[in-house]
Amino acid sequence: MIITNGLTKVFKSEGVETLALKEVSLKVNQGDFIAIMGPSGCGKTTLLNLLGLIDEPTAGKYFYFGQDVYTLSERQKTELRKQNIGFVFQNFNLIDDLTVYENIELPLIYLGWKKKARNERVAEVINNMELDHRQKLFPMQLSGGQQQRVAVARAIVAKPPLLLADEPTGNLDSLHGEEVMSILGRLNNEGTTIIMVTHSQSDAAYSRKIVHLFDGQIINENIIKGS
Amino acid sequence: MIFNYLKIGFKILYRQRGYSLLNIIGLSLGIAVFVFIYLYVQSEFRYDRHWKDDDRIYRISTEYNINDQRELVALTPFILSNSINSHLEGVESVTKIFFSDPSDVNDMSTLIYNDIVYEVPDITLGDSNVFRIFNFDFIEGNAYSALEKPNSIVISSDVAAMIFGEESALGKKIKTHIREYTVTGVFEKKGKPTHLFFDAIVSVNSLNEERLGAMTHDWFWMSCYTYVKLKENIDGGNFEYDLNEYTNAQIQNFIEQSEVSIRGVTKFSLESIKDVHFNTSLLYDNPENVDKLYLLVFGIIAAFILLTASINYVNLATARSLKRAKEIGVFKVLGAIKRQLAFQYISESLILTTLAFIIALSLVEILMPQFNILVDKNLTLVGSLFSSDGIVFGLLLIFLIFTLSIISGYFPVFVLAYLQPANVLKGNRILISKHGETRFTTAGLRKFLVTTQYIVAISMIISTVIIYQQMMFLKSYDLGFNSKNVMVINLPQDTAFRDRANDFFEDITNNDDVLMSAVAGNIPGYTTGRMMYYVNDSNNIKTLSVFLVGSNFFKLLEIPLMEGSFFVERPNDDSSLVYIVNKAALDTLGERNLVGKNLIGSTGTSGEVIGVVRDFQFSSLYNGINPLVIMFSDTRTRYLLLKLKDGCQQDIMKHINGVWNKYNRTQYLHYTYLDDKLASLYKGDYKMLSLFIYFSIFVIFIASLGLYGLSSFLIEQRTKELGIRKVLGGSAKSILLLLAKDYLKLVLIAGVIASPIVYFLMSRWLNTFAISTQLNVWIFIFSIALVLLIALLTVYIRARKVIKERPSRSINFE
Ligand SMILES: Nc1ncnc2c1ncn2[C@@H]1O[C@H](COP(=O)(O)OP(=O)(O)O)[C@@H](O)[C@H]1O
Ligand SMILES: [Mg+2]
Repeated sequence: MIITNGLTKVFKSEGVETLALKEVSLKVNQGDFIAIMGPSGCGKTTLLNLLGLIDEPTAGKYFYFGQDVYTLSERQKTELRKQNIGFVFQNFNLIDDLTVYENIELPLIYLGWKKKARNERVAEVINNMELDHRQKLFPMQLSGGQQQRVAVARAIVAKPPLLLADEPTGNLDSLHGEEVMSILGRLNNEGTTIIMVTHSQSDAAYSRKIVHLFDGQIINENIIKGS
Repeated sequence: MIFNYLKIGFKILYRQRGYSLLNIIGLSLGIAVFVFIYLYVQSEFRYDRHWKDDDRIYRISTEYNINDQRELVALTPFILSNSINSHLEGVESVTKIFFSDPSDVNDMSTLIYNDIVYEVPDITLGDSNVFRIFNFDFIEGNAYSALEKPNSIVISSDVAAMIFGEESALGKKIKTHIREYTVTGVFEKKGKPTHLFFDAIVSVNSLNEERLGAMTHDWFWMSCYTYVKLKENIDGGNFEYDLNEYTNAQIQNFIEQSEVSIRGVTKFSLESIKDVHFNTSLLYDNPENVDKLYLLVFGIIAAFILLTASINYVNLATARSLKRAKEIGVFKVLGAIKRQLAFQYISESLILTTLAFIIALSLVEILMPQFNILVDKNLTLVGSLFSSDGIVFGLLLIFLIFTLSIISGYFPVFVLAYLQPANVLKGNRILISKHGETRFTTAGLRKFLVTTQYIVAISMIISTVIIYQQMMFLKSYDLGFNSKNVMVINLPQDTAFRDRANDFFEDITNNDDVLMSAVAGNIPGYTTGRMMYYVNDSNNIKTLSVFLVGSNFFKLLEIPLMEGSFFVERPNDDSSLVYIVNKAALDTLGERNLVGKNLIGSTGTSGEVIGVVRDFQFSSLYNGINPLVIMFSDTRTRYLLLKLKDGCQQDIMKHINGVWNKYNRTQYLHYTYLDDKLASLYKGDYKMLSLFIYFSIFVIFIASLGLYGLSSFLIEQRTKELGIRKVLGGSAKSILLLLAKDYLKLVLIAGVIASPIVYFLMSRWLNTFAISTQLNVWIFIFSIALVLLIALLTVYIRARKVIKERPSRSINFE
């Protein structure tokens, strides 16, 4: 599904160059659940940004189903991203001005779904995530765990084959963390490929494969469960 | 301490010079436009505000309704002032000043001194009380007695300087082509703007009764402006009542004694001297008079330009400081540091504001000559600052500098105060409570400000389009005659020239480029006189405009004959009167057919009507086509009309100058093209058009700058959200629309509010013309669409970078 080849990212700010990623080559198969682990500042987020087409690498190639994606224009990348990739962030990144319902609906609007189809799909996801009573509330009126459930709902509403999650439980207490992880596990079982960054061993236990990153390089890959 | 703040301020402003520049440009343009309009409006309000006892001085105007024709004129009968003087109580003094056509700029008067000919724009006649009522400063002579003796002349200091240079003018003898006058006074015209337009004034008793003729006792012959100065504590309204009571009886007497029967009502009205300049409703009045409504509109525009420029300035400044505050992490600072920060911001604003004012005033100074041409004035910035009301102006400027600095410096700090972690600044509102119940909202205010600024912008643009359309309409309107390539030469009135006039005409037309010539006492576009005529029934006497023309006049202007025949040249001893009338005169007199009938004037003159011509627009298009009687005369002429070949304008002048100089050693050549003369009738409107074009550009520019600032603000606040939306697949278009949507809505609302206002004002303006274009709904739609487009473009320019850049700039997995 995903093959990266020597992905390298150098940040330049105020004359200082930071090598955030160094020739990362990674292979992800459909149905994988990969946990990326490593110390703070080792380049996990940078890697996720690259995989999510949010940023561009300094060097290296990225094939998504055989498509060389870094040769695409910004518009084509947006197109590819909204069809194929869902995002879950550590700090949720919900839009404060929109209700729970509207937040979840947003990707479908961008995909150009008809109102009726949107209504049905959003209702289905809201039901799945047990957010029925909260759909008219604003994000600020929700607890962290609820907000993250909304974020996951939004990420999967368009049924993307790939889900990227950056420390999805990082801002949650263990109870709510557990809740979110079990949802991700279920999604993976239903066929969604997931790449997740985490610090937590227990979270990593939900994955099938752990990639250890250090100083911008992959130092080893452990397969936890047979796949 | 303060010096330190200023030093850092300069440094920071220099570092952010792009932004500083934008902000300064916006503010200084706004101030400059404001100052221009302020000076202009102020200058209009200075007219006739400087006369001693001005609250007791009135001009008398006449409303008469004779046989169902109603007119409002600034002129009064000659006899009025004499009647007031001898029969009414409560008058301190009363004076009359003769009418001379103020619109006829080419009709210069000449004065001769030591055989040198000087031209003076306007010489008129007045009685000895003129300078008792109008206390012009006299440089030489005695104001009270200057016009007492016959053959006295009082000249303005400009005229005195032109003729006599440094020498004293008093007692000097100067001539016109008719008689000799003694200079009895020199008055200062400068610094006292007034509707009185004379440059020299001659004592009215220079003319004897015989020459004045019937004018002196005819109550329907409007010839003079009459001014009264009432005694203290005399009520103008009461006086007006007494005046009309007395004059009604006099006029009734006059009607009974005259040969013709007139059913007439004449009412005289007093208007305060201070209001004269703002009266545009009277005939034969000063064409420089302005409608106060337009000044009010200009004033409102000026206030709004200043307001919008200031708002924008604050908005832009706030957006900037917020960004900076974020960068340096001010969110967490408190107390003393915040105060320091406020000082720092205020010093920066003070620097910017002061710079903007300096630039604005320099701009005003530099562009003043152009502006003076535009508004046809002689304004100076320094002159205004050091005038009596200049202190107000100066204080206003200083007040503005400080207010703007403090607001734009302090507002960001104020906003930051609400930016404690629990409070979140979102878009244009501040949520104080976590649950969104209590909201400190500035959104309403902002929306109001943006809408107002676009109401002004849209109003300006629609108005400009309408004015433009109307002017084009006037230009293309068929006047009923052909004015193309027609040159009008003013003919000298002295007998020396008169005697040789025919040779002159022969010489001047003896050129291949001159296709045809005609002489005339009146031509279209110039003020005409009026007289009363009837056909059979003297009960049905009507007021008609009167033209005096020679043969060829109609052919040259291509005015077609409907019935009868044109004038033909006649032997010199044939002095019988013959008339041609226009179609409108036929209708007014209620006659089907006039050819062959006699037209009898109120003075008893009688002449045969030999033809009827099609109506032609002989006055400006402010008026319709009035009934007109055209008298034949090839001797009482003031103008020579030449129909020239196309494109010969350059070459013909040599010929004309040559011939002119052969015949006129003591007269200057004054000529104009009829087309130019006709266009000059709408000078005020063209002036307004160019003003509106400039203002529209300024206003839309300033409004756009404001929108740019607001978008900055919005984008600063919503960076994260925009990033999220992009990650979720929001296209560039959808994000631009998201940012612009609210503003576009406001622009639309502004358009809806502006339209009826403009409709009202512009209808009123269009109604001043006898003919006008239709107010087409498309003008409104087009203008609003244009402004919407500009607004969208403005947001796009600001948001372009944010929209196009990778989402990682504003959001990532952190
Ligand atoms: N926008 C950026 N500009 C400059 N340096 C950055 C930027 N983003 C990340 N970095 C640097 O790149 C390195 C990797 O960062 P990141 O991928 O965020 O680490 P992680 O997510 O593993 O904690 C760090 O040293 C960080 O300082
Ligand atoms: Mg990270």
